[in-house]
Amino acid sequence: MGGAKPAEEAFETLRAQLGGELPEGLRKLDREQLVHLDAAVREARHRQAQALAAAGDRALSHVPRLLRGPIRRITG
Amino acid sequence: MSTATDALQTRAEILKLARMLERDPAELAYLEPVSLADLCALRDHVTDVLFNANSSTLNRLATASKLLPAGLTATISERAFGPLLSARMAGRLEPEAAVSVASKLPTPFLADLAVELHPRRASAVISLIAPAQIAAITGELARRGEHVTMGRFVGHMGDPAMAAALGAMDNTTLLRVAFVLEDKDRLDHMIGLLQQPRLTSLVATAGQEGLWLEALDLLGHVSPERRRQLVANPLALDQAAVEAIVATVVKHELWPEVQVLAEHDAALRNRLASVHGT
Repeated sequence: MGGAKPAEEAFETLRAQLGGELPEGLRKLDREQLVHLDAAVREARHRQAQALAAAGDRALSHVPRLLRGPIRRITG
Repeated sequence: MSTATDALQTRAEILKLARMLERDPAELAYLEPVSLADLCALRDHVTDVLFNANSSTLNRLATASKLLPAGLTATISERAFGPLLSARMAGRLEPEAAVSVASKLPTPFLADLAVELHPRRASAVISLIAPAQIAAITGELARRGEHVTMGRFVGHMGDPAMAAALGAMDNTTLLRVAFVLEDKDRLDHMIGLLQQPRLTSLVATAGQEGLWLEALDLLGHVSPERRRQLVANPLALDQAAVEAIVATVVKHELWPEVQVLAEHDAALRNRLASVHGT
């Protein structure tokens, strides 16, 4: 369990991950808890990005061949 | 609201956050000491981050979907994107197009999607969905016991859809949904959509199902007029019900909320007086 300074750093790391917004009441949490919460948010973002990449490929297989080119041009 | 009731609402809030982060709620139990207001703010920030992540990709996909008929977009949503990504996409489509796609999706998939959807991000879509489809989705969510999900949505519905949703819930579900309703300011209006016989039956259900905490919380969040409609007749509570109510009142400090029940039942009134006097 960390001291005051590491907990403050973990608070700031989580705040940065949340776009600079974090309720002051979360200062009640200790370093380990803040690190856990930060990891949970980061992993959720990562899972979402991975799922999106895989879904994009799957989606094209359902699109008629004629439309795949125009769709690819839009989705990049 | 009492601090004890706040604690129960806090657990509901942690459940919502845990779902969003795909974590077991027990893992986030350390958030229980955080105030309800701070937890709501935290969930809002996490929602923003997750909904804004991969924004450009999601926007491009939404644009591409304009080239496809609604039926094909529905097929792709169900088979390729799944409920989570479809929920992220929903608010990025033109509301009319999203509703057209939704009309072609099966109810169980829409219920899965509802669990993942943040109503604030898709408010325009929700408000356009036909009441009959809202009723079907609500019925599915009720069967699954998804009270928290239903409680997040009700505030974003127009009256016809809200009435349809209420019609798809039994009294037990309705009391549980009202308890975790995200926008409690709408509770009075929502309850006002019920007919008088159903209003009075809610208190009877609370007695049969042991849902006095939910019923007392409801009484504490509606107008005096609505309270009188909910408790319109003498209650004639049996001894077990009186004891259950008193235990709930004492445990959760719901003295103001219980007054209207006490006014309609002498045994409860006397029992509360004896407890309060000790």
